[in-house]
Amino acid sequence: MAEPVEGALPRSSAGFSWAGFPWAEFAACLVFVAAFAIPSFTRSQLIYSIANQALVGVVAALSVWIMLRMNLLTFATPAFMAIGGYSVAILAPMGVTDAFALTAISFVVPALLALPLGALVLRLRGTYFVLVTYVLSEILQLILFMTPDLTGGSNGISGIPAVTFLGTELVSNRAVLKMACAIGLVACLITAGVTRYFRQHFAAIEENEILAESLGLVIWRYKVIGFVVAAGVAGLAGFSLVNMLLTAHPSSFSSGSAVDFIAYTIIGGRASILGPVVGTGLLVWATNLFGTQGQLAQGMYGVLILAVVLAAKGGITGSIATLFRRVRGAN
Amino acid sequence: MAGDELRVEGLAKRFGGLRVFHDINFRLPPGEILGVIGPNGAGKTTLINVISGRIQPSSGQVFLGGRNITGQPSHALSRLGVGRSFQQTNTFRSASVRENISRAIRFSRRSGSAVGLDLLLRDFQLTDRMNEQSDKLPYGLQKMLGLAMAYAIGPQVLLLDEPAAGLERGERSRIDGFVAHVREHGGCGVLIVEHDMDLIRRLCPRILVLDAGYVLADGPPAEVLARPDVIKAYLGAGDEDEV
Amino acid sequence: MEQFSQAMIIGVSLGAQYALLALGFTLIFGILGVVNFSHGGFYMLGGYVAYSCVYHLGLPYPLAVLAAVFATGALGYLFELVLLERVIDDHLSTLMLTLGLYLIVSTAVLLIFGPVSPEFPFPVSGAWRAGPIYVPLENLVVLAVCVCAIAGLYALLFSTDLGRGLRALADDRDVAMAQGMRPKLLFPLAFALATGLAGLTGALVTPILSLSPSVGDPVLATSFLTVILGGLGSLGGAALAAFVVGIVEAYTSVYFGGSVGALVLFILVLVILVFRPTGLLGREIRGA
Repeated sequence: MAEPVEGALPRSSAGFSWAGFPWAEFAACLVFVAAFAIPSFTRSQLIYSIANQALVGVVAALSVWIMLRMNLLTFATPAFMAIGGYSVAILAPMGVTDAFALTAISFVVPALLALPLGALVLRLRGTYFVLVTYVLSEILQLILFMTPDLTGGSNGISGIPAVTFLGTELVSNRAVLKMACAIGLVACLITAGVTRYFRQHFAAIEENEILAESLGLVIWRYKVIGFVVAAGVAGLAGFSLVNMLLTAHPSSFSSGSAVDFIAYTIIGGRASILGPVVGTGLLVWATNLFGTQGQLAQGMYGVLILAVVLAAKGGITGSIATLFRRVRGAN
Repeated sequence: MAGDELRVEGLAKRFGGLRVFHDINFRLPPGEILGVIGPNGAGKTTLINVISGRIQPSSGQVFLGGRNITGQPSHALSRLGVGRSFQQTNTFRSASVRENISRAIRFSRRSGSAVGLDLLLRDFQLTDRMNEQSDKLPYGLQKMLGLAMAYAIGPQVLLLDEPAAGLERGERSRIDGFVAHVREHGGCGVLIVEHDMDLIRRLCPRILVLDAGYVLADGPPAEVLARPDVIKAYLGAGDEDEV
Repeated sequence: MEQFSQAMIIGVSLGAQYALLALGFTLIFGILGVVNFSHGGFYMLGGYVAYSCVYHLGLPYPLAVLAAVFATGALGYLFELVLLERVIDDHLSTLMLTLGLYLIVSTAVLLIFGPVSPEFPFPVSGAWRAGPIYVPLENLVVLAVCVCAIAGLYALLFSTDLGRGLRALADDRDVAMAQGMRPKLLFPLAFALATGLAGLTGALVTPILSLSPSVGDPVLATSFLTVILGGLGSLGGAALAAFVVGIVEAYTSVYFGGSVGALVLFILVLVILVFRPTGLLGREIRGA
């Protein structure tokens, strides 16, 4: 019914326009494809390690970014990472080692668990969502410690068998890194797909929830869709992390790491999918470069977050885009 | 396309101990234009918020075309044909004019008169600016876009919250054009909350005066605005919007 | 029976601490509309300021507690005035600023004091006995100070002009401004008041529980549970919920051991959100 009316809107110009092409999404996917080439250039264990960290971090940051599309800040990323990672760690010793099966499981299990929680919390004001996700990642740590039979408690699960790809075991560092690239690419495609498909809905919620609702948009439904996908993407990050370490341990999913993923996304820039990709890459690299580990890195993130909020709203990618536009405007 | 009658019965709203309005009753048949006036804080915007489902009423009922729609959320009401505009400019700021309109159509899953919408956009001189970002438009045009979006859902009844607020004197005649257009192409009832008394006199054959949450008067403007209690409550308050 | 009444006293004492934190958090959320992620950080900072005053400046403990209140209050005041004020109407930006501040403060403390918990015992020891009931004196002191602070806060909010102004701003900012309230003056004060309370709690409680740079995280999570339970933005609800949280924690730790309490509370909060989204005492808030 709606089509004829939309069809009646005056058209500007007929034909294909490059302006509508999803450049940012395309570029983000290219980054993951390019990462496959890292093992061909270097055998440096340090670079492998940094690349692996960054690939896990990017996927987690993409999960944060999906919710930021709708102005929602999530602290639950480590919780859903843990659910995805532990699902893999529990199932792999039972013989489920196929890369495709484990990727699917690490996405679906957290996504299904996010559904009822999202349906409950996302009907309320956004503030409830922030608070509940924060508490959730604290609570999940407790649950891990309280269920030693299932999750190994404070020891975690170690000695996880290697993932197999079409029957071949992925044991070498190079193979593990390529697996991380593949998981990253899958996560990026899912994120790009969902945020492009619901672009109008997410943008409407981000810009003006009240107006969108008054026009008939069922806000909480789209927030729940976003949350479920974000949880699945976080689960993929958990899989990638467990695959890298070959253990699942509570400390890998500490609630404090939620802040890191938020920092990657905000500092990278929240306007496009390139933000979390660029932000994670730069911050993980910088953290390793300056040898500032753990808590000290968080201090740096704190300063950068203040800088972004107060001075450079668009983060790194947003500021570059503004600069680019200004230079082009001057010519 | 004809609209549905809006009927409000014994509607009341309290926030905590604070009574915003109390026992509001009126009917708004299709094609009629009803003005709602009253001093600031009389509960006019809250009335629109309650009817359009933004806020739950404390008691009372709202009917649309005989169907009880009390307490339904605003997205559901939009899909039933309750269209509304907002006091502040309300568009999706970074979206183009075209995207704004098409979101209204898509989200409401309703179809109004395509010809009517097209003509309205022409009237508002938005046709040539369909690809412009909405917050780059002049303020007046942003407000018109907001009205066009409320119209685009093909409303059974339209609730306009201070459509003329912030507009230049000269731009206010566009509201007249909009209401005339709705009459011609929509035929739905229109409720207008407004401070501009000239506009109310021009457009509304009937007005409702709210004061401190009560209906002080209900009738034709000439009659109602001559009543001493109305003058005392509203016009006598030295409202700067009148000047 | 002894265990039961003892757990009750511990619970009430915990509840009083949580109340101070939750009231501050609620003040900031209610008046400024800001979700303060640095609240746990101010608690932690209060502990470290008190510790430094006692062990580096040689001040007596009560003076150290006062110093902690003023230091955290002053930092809160400056932070609101200089940084938060610039983006006060943007919900997400304010949240991120407080998060950034928390990261900076906890990193600074880590750099200065190191990751190891310092030795910081409570200056009063011993216990109070009444028949079979046995209560550590330190808990009683903390309880007494917290109750006084809560009473003082209520007196300030409900019987002074400043308090009336603050509450008016929390109820409806537009109306309050129309009546001549000045958010520019009152916002930093409200923020300072709340962070000062968090600092007070930290200075009082960290000697009994523990002091480390990461002690703010669980405190923040508990504050969140408390304010959701009580109804976001409701002062009375926050105080009531704080005692519920304290008592549930005390009983679960006595009867089921350590960390079950937090899980029980989380589930309780989710159930509350299903059946009563406005919390125990929350009411509908006017406006958007």
